[in-house]
Amino acid sequence: MHIQQAYIVSALRTPVGKAKKGFYRHTRPDDLLAHVIRGVVEANPWLDPQQIGDVIAGCAMPEAEQGINVARVSTLLAGLPDQVPGVTINRFCSSGLQAVAMAADRIRLGEADVMIACGTESMSMVPMMGNKLATNPAIFTDENVAIAYGMGITAEKVAQKWQVSREDQDAFALRSHQRALAAIEAGHFQAETLPYTVRHSLPDLQNGTVRIQESTPAVDEGPRADTSLEKLARLRPAFDARGSVTAGNSSQTSDGAGALLLVSEKVLKAHNLEPLARFVSFSVAGVPPEIMGIGPVEAIPRALKQAGLSQADLDWIELNEAFAAQSLAVIRQLELDEDKVNPLGGAIALGHPLGATGAIRSATLLHGLARTGGRYGMVTMCIGTGMGAAGIFENLR
Amino acid sequence: MKSIRKVAVLGAGVMGAQIAAHMANAGLETLLFELPANEGTDKSAAARKAVAGLKKLKPPPLAHPAALRHIEPANYEEHLPALADCDLVIEAIAEKMEWKLDLFHKITPHLGEGTWLASNTSGLSIQKMADALPDDLQARFCGVHFFNPPRYMHLVELIPTQKTDPTMLDALETFLTTRMGKGIVRAKDTPNFIGNRIGVFSILATMHHTARFGLSFDEVDALTGTRIGRPKSATYRTADVVGLDTMAHVIHTMSATLPDDPWHDYFQVPGWLQKLIDAGALGQKTRCGIYRKQGKTIEVLDLEKGDYRPSGKGVADEVKAMLKLDTPAEQMAALRASDHPQAQFLWACFRDLFHYCACQLEAIADTARDLDFAIRWGYGWKLGPFELWQAAGWKTVAGWIGEDIEAGKTMAATPLPDWVMALEHGPHAPDGSYSPARQQFIDRSSLPVYRRQPYPDPLISERYSYGETVFENDAVRLWHEGDGAAVLSFKTKMHTISREVLDSIHQAVNVAEQDFKTLILWQTEEPFSAGADLSGALAALQAGEIEAFTDMVDRFQQTSQRLRYSSIPVVSAPRGLALGGGCEFTMHCDRVVAALETYIGLVEVGVGLLPAGGGLKEIARRLSALPENVDPFPFLQRWFETVAMGKVAGSALEAIDLGFLGACSKVVFHPHEVLHVARQQGLFLAEAGYTPPLPDRHIRVAGKTGIANLKLVLVNMLEGHFISEHDFEIGSRIAEVICGGEVEAGERVDETWLLDLERKHFVELAQMPKTQERIAHMLKTGKPLRN
Repeated sequence: MHIQQAYIVSALRTPVGKAKKGFYRHTRPDDLLAHVIRGVVEANPWLDPQQIGDVIAGCAMPEAEQGINVARVSTLLAGLPDQVPGVTINRFCSSGLQAVAMAADRIRLGEADVMIACGTESMSMVPMMGNKLATNPAIFTDENVAIAYGMGITAEKVAQKWQVSREDQDAFALRSHQRALAAIEAGHFQAETLPYTVRHSLPDLQNGTVRIQESTPAVDEGPRADTSLEKLARLRPAFDARGSVTAGNSSQTSDGAGALLLVSEKVLKAHNLEPLARFVSFSVAGVPPEIMGIGPVEAIPRALKQAGLSQADLDWIELNEAFAAQSLAVIRQLELDEDKVNPLGGAIALGHPLGATGAIRSATLLHGLARTGGRYGMVTMCIGTGMGAAGIFENLR
Repeated sequence: MKSIRKVAVLGAGVMGAQIAAHMANAGLETLLFELPANEGTDKSAAARKAVAGLKKLKPPPLAHPAALRHIEPANYEEHLPALADCDLVIEAIAEKMEWKLDLFHKITPHLGEGTWLASNTSGLSIQKMADALPDDLQARFCGVHFFNPPRYMHLVELIPTQKTDPTMLDALETFLTTRMGKGIVRAKDTPNFIGNRIGVFSILATMHHTARFGLSFDEVDALTGTRIGRPKSATYRTADVVGLDTMAHVIHTMSATLPDDPWHDYFQVPGWLQKLIDAGALGQKTRCGIYRKQGKTIEVLDLEKGDYRPSGKGVADEVKAMLKLDTPAEQMAALRASDHPQAQFLWACFRDLFHYCACQLEAIADTARDLDFAIRWGYGWKLGPFELWQAAGWKTVAGWIGEDIEAGKTMAATPLPDWVMALEHGPHAPDGSYSPARQQFIDRSSLPVYRRQPYPDPLISERYSYGETVFENDAVRLWHEGDGAAVLSFKTKMHTISREVLDSIHQAVNVAEQDFKTLILWQTEEPFSAGADLSGALAALQAGEIEAFTDMVDRFQQTSQRLRYSSIPVVSAPRGLALGGGCEFTMHCDRVVAALETYIGLVEVGVGLLPAGGGLKEIARRLSALPENVDPFPFLQRWFETVAMGKVAGSALEAIDLGFLGACSKVVFHPHEVLHVARQQGLFLAEAGYTPPLPDRHIRVAGKTGIANLKLVLVNMLEGHFISEHDFEIGSRIAEVICGGEVEAGERVDETWLLDLERKHFVELAQMPKTQERIAHMLKTGKPLRN
């Protein structure tokens, strides 16, 4: 039981860039995070930053450029006072959502009145398995070998077990791109997007000077207008020679960051704020690591139960598209309404900057609900080594 | 002598781009020119596209991906001033004289005072081009004709004009030989020069006789391929690869430029060929030509049916038997005497080819050697036409040709030139090859560059004695030429490594340590080594002689160690394949001097084993040399993948990149210069005060964590059906050896520890049924078995 409600008053995120070759390839994840933290603070002129109880940042590979407690580093880089602390948390792909839940919990327990929940990830700079692989030899037993499985292998296992065909996966992927492109075209991401100005320092060898190349990308880089079922069908399976999971029907590796400002009811009233949403419930659950993609099937009913809601009450579901195979397995297993799932496209088109995704898609959900007038919405995702997370929000706009 | 550092290639077509690639392979700064783009801001877009395309071509024109960085795309609008500091400019645009002359006119003002200019025309008149150039440039101009693909075809024809400066020509020949690794033939300025003149004639004669004897295309390819010492693609498959339209173009050129050739009537595109071209079936590039692939079946055009049918008509048993007779003389006599259409066909092809070569030699080449090498190096034949003729009995065959001319059976009635009958044994003699123009035998070129080739590609008349024998047995020969360098050459088939080879290497090192300054491992012909002798190993295993087998593995390891720790420098000098044990020996030598076209790799997984001649130990040792604060895993993983996938380096440069060859290795572009450079290296190391390495007792290993990391890779490959259970087994064991066993990461072990691990896992794998199946399959088929 909690003693008060937690409300989200701001939710912003950067455009998502393609890892390695994209617009953020030289942009540090701590700089991106500082940018969105600054963004949600500046969006609330009433806020005395000293009031911020903590900054909780999700990051799936918290090392190197996003190491040494990136939450604290970015808080300081954002210009917040020394008194504002920061903590980095990691639950892989749900880290950003986990940060929101933990921030909400601090408020709901009455321990804080203002919190920032955020997430950042540069897959350009820190690879999926981190910079130094150091596998525990103990995992190679029958019970634990699935810890060694790459995410693609687990997606194949889900595809097999829930009989998701290659054709269905490719069609799902194509729809993700089509929805994302339509949303960009309609400007549906504008309210949540906080563009970041990238400055590349490049050697101008002819003049012997450093040339600054500046750009401010305003939309996500991942969606492809040139894809088609034929093109997707031509791709080879990426993880299993006899499989169906390809680069085209998997999420893209990406760079990006997102942040949410949460406040208590007390602060809401004191400053007469109009919140975006109320944080309703959160749940996380474990599944066998070899079918990690099915995780939301366990987490969603629990989150609904906590909220006292049924699936039919949900107007919008942001289901992270780690793979089309697991997304479709989850949709079919729970009989989710496909029209309500990822109406603006998902990670196959928009990208999946691991630890940032939870915060980014929360922003998408809250602005989407505000725009369309739905009441309840959910952000959910599967998590490596076999987990699922789901968070429910109530639109107050 | 002028040194060549920067070159420009004009024309980024198939040939131009590939010539540029090979220049870049050779470490030259290379500009690749193409027409300026009409649209967009990048005027060099066309050249840039051609450069990018080099990465996709097969066989790869780039010997190493980094070579790409040496090629700068350029265009005629913006970059002509850059020609001023080019040492060599090679024109390689389309075969249109007006276009070439236009281009020369455009570039001439920009050429530097010392810039050499050359045309890579495949047959247009070099003199005509020279006439259009200013006087001073004419001295610096000649033809250089590369063959496709230029990295792999050994031949470059060098065509001077009357005004070409002989010093420049010598310098260019030197450059093309040593730096580019090419075999140079000087040709006279006649249409299609030597290689294509004779090569295309041979194809035309083959087409003519195919029709005359009513043979099918696949049948002719079976007859005119490897069975008679020519490439597997033989006649018609080669035409498909070259492109049927290109083939027609060459035939048209011959027809237009050689009106007085007595064989002129045959310089015509056959009706069926024209039909294919008209239908857009141009060969490989359109996936349909004389052959086509339907699913997994190769089909061939059947003229009688007017349609394609599955290919597969072969050589008749009686003709096969004729081609297997002991001597070329018996073979040729049998073919001629037989009534079998296939035999008659072959005789007719040989006869008319010999006839044509004899009649044209004086006009197109200086000596019979030049003609034979042009065909061997440009068309991939084992022996040139005159060599074939001489081997079959010069006078006898000449007599038969004469009879057939008399009888009106030959394609042309022209009599054989007088010099033919005047030569007793043929045009190749110990003191040189015959020159009809000079009416004497001419020795090989005395250009100093050829002193770097102690044993050049031999003609049929040249038998080398390879120095003075130090000792010789059935397995090896140790020899020297009095310069302090002992050379060890294997005598086994494919230079495989048997027990006797191992023992002989020990003996050779012992002797060399006593009496020589350095020891060179070099084979008199390719390959360097196909690895261990598997038949002996399998026999021991199947007889259950595990102890004897283990002892042989131990002997293998000790042989590698003996090479490494000898008191004199040991230099490995590979060319061609260097697999398994051949790779391991090379990894244990002090220096490697490798031909560019060396294909080295540890391929033991193909037969279900792991490298256990010290190869994995060497990998662990090399990984240990990384700085302590560097995560070794990316390097470990790369080595692991190289070995576990049995990867073979595509060139000596790539082998350096993969780590098989050390960074101090020398890559020699000309295969016949390898021995020379290897000796120089060995003697240099000896003179520099050689100290053998000390035993390595502090090899830092990746241990348990390293093994777990590699297993993680293997688990995913197994789950993903990319490898079999047995591959997983082998891979796990390779991981264990290169990580130094189940010890803590960062612990230090010695070489004996690693060699023991290698041997243990090798012997255990060898006893597994799946490994024995792989070995048996390899011995039977020559191909690896996936089980």
